[in-house]
Amino acid sequence: MAINGNGERGQNWEAQLRKGCLEMAILATMWQSRLYGLEILRELAGKSQLEIAEGTLYPILGRLKAEGLLQSEWVEAEAGHPRKYYWLTAAGRLRVREMAGAWNEFAAKLAALVEPVTGGKER
Amino acid sequence: MIASTQVVDVRIEQYLNRLEAALAGVESGQREDILREIRAHLLDSAASAADRDGAVDRVLRMLGSPEELAERYSTECLLQRAGRSVSPWLLLRTCWRWAMLGTKGMLAFFLALIGYGTALVLTVSIFMKPFDSAVGLWLGVGKCCTLQVGTPDHPERMHELLGQWFVPVIAVVAFGAAIGTTRALRWMIRSRTSSLTDPVMQTGRSAI
Repeated sequence: MAINGNGERGQNWEAQLRKGCLEMAILATMWQSRLYGLEILRELAGKSQLEIAEGTLYPILGRLKAEGLLQSEWVEAEAGHPRKYYWLTAAGRLRVREMAGAWNEFAAKLAALVEPVTGGKER
Repeated sequence: MIASTQVVDVRIEQYLNRLEAALAGVESGQREDILREIRAHLLDSAASAADRDGAVDRVLRMLGSPEELAERYSTECLLQRAGRSVSPWLLLRTCWRWAMLGTKGMLAFFLALIGYGTALVLTVSIFMKPFDSAVGLWLGVGKCCTLQVGTPDHPERMHELLGQWFVPVIAVVAFGAAIGTTRALRWMIRSRTSSLTDPVMQTGRSAI
């Protein structure tokens, strides 16, 4: 789309990039412990600045569960209402490990590629 | 003083009522589960905020309208099923939904229409062959390259390519078109990168 200004295109690219990583990021938040939806959102916002809307998160959690990557359980809380906790299944752990491996490899190669750009070296 | 979690916020209840209605197509156990989860989320968000009203406002905005949220749930569910399905009907329906959400879905939907459409037309022509011997794969003689499956308007200027092989060859091609379309659609559906995670636009900024 040539009509977009540079800034808008840059933002759009960044949004696409974040979207692509979203599934991995969501799965990764549960690597160490069981979490409920609000905790997942806070974890994402706090650690990765991925601010996702709740209207996006919950349907994705539902799908990841249907795909067998997550399991869930209702737990009574002192808040007065139960909360739905999610955790990774064996298949989910395997998947997120694969994703993280691919991500690291890709990120390292790209970092090497853009190093001259960000390093400020002129040709 | 009444604990804030016990105060039933009218807006929360209104939202959940509309969501329940919008989720009418979802199986009842799953619907209950979704409603409980969204309710818990709203109550938790409200309870942990200093400005309770503001927090509820914000979360309701981030959830999108009940109808949008229900749409996301059912589309995620459809896409998940369709990624493993071979049913053209389910794949077509799913692509139709997906088409509403972006260009890739639209592309998938047109591919589905063209692919399954071709397979259907070819299959119909096979069944017509016994009743109408003019049905065939015709090649135009005058103008070099008019290929036509079915009955030509000017048979005198064309000749039929397949003869008795028409039925088996067209059957294989129709079958191939159907299988190819199915495989391509499944591949597209599976390889989508969380295509449904479009921003809830009214929240502005970078929320995905």
